[in-house]
Amino acid sequence: MNNFTLVRKNLTRNKLRLFLNCFAIFIAFLLFGALGAIKNAFDAGVELSADDRLVTVNKINFTQPLPLAYVNKIRTLEGVKDVTWANWFGGYYQEPKNQLMTFAVDPESYFEVYDDVVVDEQELENWKKDRQGILIGERIANARGWKVGDRIPVSSNIFSKHDGSSTWDFNISGIVRPENPQTDTSYTLIHYKYFMETQIWGGDWIGWIPLTTQNPELNEEVSRAVDKMFANSPAETETSTEAQFSKAFVEQMGDIGFIIMSVVMAAFFTILLIVGNSMWQSIKERTSEIAVLKTLGFTAEKVFAMVLAESFLLAALGGILGLGGAWLSIKAITPMTQSILPALVLGHQVFISGLMFIAILGFVTGIVPAWQAMKLNTIEALSRR
Amino acid sequence: MGSLFAQISAVVKMNLLSLPKRVGSSLTTLLAVAIVVTVLLAFMAMGQGFQKTMAGSGSEDVAIMLRGGSAAELNSGLGGDVYTNVSSSPGIAKDENGPIISGELYVVVDGVKKSSQTEANLPLRGIGPAGFSLRKNISLIDGRMFEEGKTEIIVGTSILSQFSGFELGSKMKFGATEWTVVGVFDAGGSVFGSELLTDVRTLQAQFNRGNSYQSIRVRLDGPEAIQKIRDFIESDPRLNLDVMTEQAYYSDQSRDMGRLVYMGWGLAIFMALGALAGALNTMYTSVEAKAVEIATLRAIGFKGISAFFGTLVESLVLAIIGGVLGTLIAFLLFDGISTSTMGGSFTQVVFDFNVSADAFKSGIILAVIIGLVGGFFPAWRASRMPLLKAFSS
Amino acid sequence: MSNELLFDLKNIEKRFVRGRESISIFDGLNITIKKGTFVSIMGPSGSGKTTLLNMLGGVDRPTSGEILFEGQAIQNLGEGELAKWRARHVGFIFQFYNLMPMLNAEKNVELPLLLKNLSKAQRNKSVETALKLVGLSDRARHLPKELSGGQQQRVAIARAIVSDPDLLLCDEPTGDLDRTTATEILETLQLLNKEFGKTIVMVTHDPVAASFANVSLHLDKGQFIEQQSSEAVA
Repeated sequence: MNNFTLVRKNLTRNKLRLFLNCFAIFIAFLLFGALGAIKNAFDAGVELSADDRLVTVNKINFTQPLPLAYVNKIRTLEGVKDVTWANWFGGYYQEPKNQLMTFAVDPESYFEVYDDVVVDEQELENWKKDRQGILIGERIANARGWKVGDRIPVSSNIFSKHDGSSTWDFNISGIVRPENPQTDTSYTLIHYKYFMETQIWGGDWIGWIPLTTQNPELNEEVSRAVDKMFANSPAETETSTEAQFSKAFVEQMGDIGFIIMSVVMAAFFTILLIVGNSMWQSIKERTSEIAVLKTLGFTAEKVFAMVLAESFLLAALGGILGLGGAWLSIKAITPMTQSILPALVLGHQVFISGLMFIAILGFVTGIVPAWQAMKLNTIEALSRR
Repeated sequence: MGSLFAQISAVVKMNLLSLPKRVGSSLTTLLAVAIVVTVLLAFMAMGQGFQKTMAGSGSEDVAIMLRGGSAAELNSGLGGDVYTNVSSSPGIAKDENGPIISGELYVVVDGVKKSSQTEANLPLRGIGPAGFSLRKNISLIDGRMFEEGKTEIIVGTSILSQFSGFELGSKMKFGATEWTVVGVFDAGGSVFGSELLTDVRTLQAQFNRGNSYQSIRVRLDGPEAIQKIRDFIESDPRLNLDVMTEQAYYSDQSRDMGRLVYMGWGLAIFMALGALAGALNTMYTSVEAKAVEIATLRAIGFKGISAFFGTLVESLVLAIIGGVLGTLIAFLLFDGISTSTMGGSFTQVVFDFNVSADAFKSGIILAVIIGLVGGFFPAWRASRMPLLKAFSS
Repeated sequence: MSNELLFDLKNIEKRFVRGRESISIFDGLNITIKKGTFVSIMGPSGSGKTTLLNMLGGVDRPTSGEILFEGQAIQNLGEGELAKWRARHVGFIFQFYNLMPMLNAEKNVELPLLLKNLSKAQRNKSVETALKLVGLSDRARHLPKELSGGQQQRVAIARAIVSDPDLLLCDEPTGDLDRTTATEILETLQLLNKEFGKTIVMVTHDPVAASFANVSLHLDKGQFIEQQSSEAVA
């Protein structure tokens, strides 16, 4: 036996209470883990965006087109490193609910700007050569089980071909792999030229212009220069960092982060009340035992530490189970949420903040009882019998 | 020993009077239930508020036509010839200007959300001459109507409340042209209030849309009108259109947000399980604390069932007070809050949180369930309290 | 019994404040206790028996006066030092045994040893010895609720002696026991006094219990009014 045995025995003496408290904490941290992962998935676009990458869109709104000629004009600006362009295709596979995020891009310059993903050299070469080639992100390849060489039909809910059909057939040329596993690769890339020539409206407009700067410090200067260049033209631009752009996009749905944090805090506060009250109760019931420990020669500090250790142990027990449960349930639902929230993983930052919250819970629920135990008047406690 | 009812009421009274003695743990249960109910109601208020806005938008006697298979206006596109052809269909109500029909088109423009200061998508919608009067509960409350051919806009009150820069008289640039807000309209809290309206031909011209539309709205002339229009479209091979009443269209669009209510229930049930643990803890402690009293009553002839009900009622009372507190908090905190989210048209829909009577009922039901379950097992223990407890200290 | 003093209490005053009233329990009490004595203290309720015991055990302090333990004043030691002092020198035995309900007999006995730097083997040996001494070796793994009152009190005695303190303080150790069991417990205490030289101070209501001691004191209104053996008390 050691001091820890005593703490453990104290914790487990009332099995029902231990179970109820553990369960309440388990629930709180299950919610914490799961909601934390969801919040991170929403924030992923912001957090993983390259700090030297800017996006130029039409000032009216990012759904409005820009002329292709802008690309070369932006290339001439000082501080600009690489420039590419992309169009939204609005793709789906077989049925509109099977969304397939598809961009029509320039094969030559796309990966200069998006250097955080890689494609096998041979596959990239093949794609460049095949007008009907499509590159698919690793996540999509995994989720749908597609392989290089497969021929897939991709439909658009916006565009149609000259023959009236809105389904294009593509050959899978290669797989886009991320350098950082959290980077989203749930998209596919097709040739801009092929897309423009085959869709009914034709033209040489583009959706948006991603570009990189020589140095992140030049971001503001470059974006101002871009927007100034096209001021007072029929298509004025608005250039922002990729992070700002993603953030604004997520904000459109509402303040998801705030809603999630509110729920987590509400759950956490509830559990704080319940467990705190229960700890307080159980120390109150143990008054005379604590007094005996003190007469045996246990110092006040030791008694304090033991009660606090007990509440930490309780928080850790329920909390770690809860985080584990969250991890399992996130893993279980990932296949279903691939298309809506591609970056849904219970990352280590959620775990770390979870552990932090466990420590806070342990401390807050234990501090008052521990203090009371420490300050307990031995004589009164013993004479209360 | 009186009737069973008298026994029960005596024990209930005794238990309730003893509540203040355990004020800490009683308050814990009460607050835990209150928080759970508040969370449930917040989500219900959000989901139901959005649905109310959507449901308030559609009329039964207005039909909306989209390109076949496009499901939402966003994905739809119709040529000017389609508009001309369909306008001769039977089933469309007529007035002195001919069929009541509005060819419509919207482009997405940026507005700055007041709450987050970020840019968000707003629909700048071009409507035909009949378009304004086709909309239910809509009226100009300030300024005047836009003039055909001029780059003038009227703006919905919902937009004014949530986005900055659209006040009456303000000017904005979309592309090379300047637009002026000349009027403000109220749409009775419906989704129409989240739009900027202008003349459809002006919009086509300014945004290089030729003579194309995305949707066509018509006034129906009777209950069978929609079928007549469908038959007409069927008979003309050049027409490929989906027709539905406006009401059906908007209730379809609100389905996704309706899921918020389920999400609220999901979260609330999880949290309720946590609160239940607290309630059980409190009630077991309460039974333990009253062991001697309970056993003494039983020793002098009270039935076990009176101890059972005494405990159950105590738990219920705590839970119900908590539930009422939670609904009150939710009502004060959320009811009427305006916010906006991305709607089915890829543009912002402004809606108000709505704590409905239905939500209130749900909150109380949830509280009662927590109280019942949280009280049942401890009550069971109380009813089987060994009589010897009365004689031990 | 040696002639060395274990305790020398000088001019002890103890006052309680209850509400607005100040109650004086002791007003200039002087007493010495020699090493190796078995002292019983009797007296009516409120006479200060338990207060005195608590002061001897370092859980309570006099309002003024000096408590010398082996010549060292303990009344001014800090809380932490007092706790250490108790762990080294004092074993407590209570009327209601006060065992930890979630620990079995041997773990209850082991408890005071956690405060010393001992190896597991040393601890086990001490626990074994203590339990054997009180005749409970065969109940080592039982929880308190599985033991009779007398057995629980034996565990409590084992706990009090396991760290080999000089002094045992007993507060009504037989108050909750029947006569036969009480006698067994008192014989055990006597054995500890005679064979192992423990100094024992026992508060009791029971004259029969008091008769097991070799010195009997009677406390009334804060003063000892009767001394059976002047040899032990001055």
